Amino acid sequence: MNNQFFSPQRFWSYFKYDLIQLWRNHMKAAVGIGLAGLIAYIVTVTFNLIFDGTWTGPGVTARFSIFFIAFTVLELYQTRTYGYLTDKKQGSAWLMMPASTFEKWLSMILITIIILPAIFLVVSLLVDGFLSLVDPTVGSSMLASLDHGLQELGGGLVEINNEYSTTWSMGAFIPLLYVSLCVNFLFFLLCGLIFKKNKIVWAFVIIFVISTVLSILSISFDLNVDVADDFATAEQQIRHFLCSSTAILALVAAGLAGGIFYRLKTLKH
Amino acid sequence: MITVKDLSFSYGTKGVLKNISLTLEGGNIYGLLGENGVGKTTLLTLLCGLKAPQTGTIDTDGRNPFDREPSLLAEQFYLPDEVAPVHNRASQFGLETGKLWPKYDHTKFLCVLRDFEVDENQRMDTMSAGQLKKTWISFALACNARHYFMDEPTNGLDIPSKAQFRKAITKYTAEDSAVVISTHQVRDLENIIDPIIILDKEDVLLNASLETISQKLFFDYGTEIHPEALYLERTPGGAIQVYPNTIGEDSKVNLEALFNAVHTHKDVVKALFA
Repeated sequence: MNNQFFSPQRFWSYFKYDLIQLWRNHMKAAVGIGLAGLIAYIVTVTFNLIFDGTWTGPGVTARFSIFFIAFTVLELYQTRTYGYLTDKKQGSAWLMMPASTFEKWLSMILITIIILPAIFLVVSLLVDGFLSLVDPTVGSSMLASLDHGLQELGGGLVEINNEYSTTWSMGAFIPLLYVSLCVNFLFFLLCGLIFKKNKIVWAFVIIFVISTVLSILSISFDLNVDVADDFATAEQQIRHFLCSSTAILALVAAGLAGGIFYRLKTLKH
Repeated sequence: MITVKDLSFSYGTKGVLKNISLTLEGGNIYGLLGENGVGKTTLLTLLCGLKAPQTGTIDTDGRNPFDREPSLLAEQFYLPDEVAPVHNRASQFGLETGKLWPKYDHTKFLCVLRDFEVDENQRMDTMSAGQLKKTWISFALACNARHYFMDEPTNGLDIPSKAQFRKAITKYTAEDSAVVISTHQVRDLENIIDPIIILDKEDVLLNASLETISQKLFFDYGTEIHPEALYLERTPGGAIQVYPNTIGEDSKVNLEALFNAVHTHKDVVKALFA
């Protein structure tokens, strides 16, 4: 491979630099968002003490809701992690760093779709596990409830004559969920790299336009779905749906990653 | 060597550079002069690869700067007029960021910082504009690049720091380095820049060494007024006059007078240096 395109040694050197900048500039935010569960716990316990006179923490459903809200905030935060590249001063300094565009892009992608979500998950789940350990009023931890929740949700999807599948679990949805996460994170990252100001507002404008177009397209087509009359066929249909959806979203993620590379390659100051 | 051939660039319909051709050779500190808005910063950003030429080519040691190849980026440094604040201490910034430049010398960075009297342990986001600029200049010099592109490097520097900058540039750049300094503060850099490039709207008015300039133009600091002078500026002790050097005598080039002479008699000067 052309050394000007990729050199493992140079990439490692740049990746370490990028990780240090992440730690220095964005770790507080990522950890802070991950601590949303703890903040919600403190607020709930305080309000319950004031208005109810009891020490009661938030239940697992409330904590899952907080988790998803915090996760959405982390998605939006992707417009900021590398948003400084559109700034003339900081962007110029970054562009002039001796690493190839591919190496800078690869580091950016790894941090966006693996490292930042992993930090958030670890902090959130550790906080939640700790709370469920020390305070019995909050019930079981999110992680312990996850398997049950996925089983319930998955089984509910496969319904034949008012009976639900007991073998199907939402665990099979995890690859699809992860690819969706990648699409969302990469989309907000790309918006952060394209727009100089009001990055989040523009991102929402694009989401609104895309959703409107997709809604119009979806009602224009008559979607016939074969209905299965046994669990094995129904599960196979869902498996097929999962595979095709995951593949489509993976293509979208690849397209967004390609768009990010193109943006970095053509960025000018 | 950097070769610019038929380079043009415009912002929308506003043309800035038009068919610019010039050659920049190692071992020189080029002074890039010009009025506001003639494209000095644009030329610097094109030379370092922050922008792509719209027509024409730039060749830096056989490579196109806009390809931003790591090997070329490692050999050049662009110092903008306004530098970025960094959420880090100066010394730590050098250690972390310098690793990306293969020839970075941290000892040299600390040495230049001390020469500039900047505290290496101070956070860069708490520094004044001048201190921040001095930190970035120190870092740039410690990268041991071959090509430096500096946009108004003395802006924001106090008087002792300007002298220190002149010393640092001559002391810490390699003999084969090509340094291009864009500036309006010609007096700050009068003793170190040579050759001189004077840009005009969509044109290069002058690209010549001080030796050639003094061969072609005579800088008269006497009291006798010469009506044929291209430029005349009265001073408390007499006058500075610039006129074609028909007598073949050497004189000390005054950059401000040169700039004004070139600007008021563009065609005469271009013909003289053609």
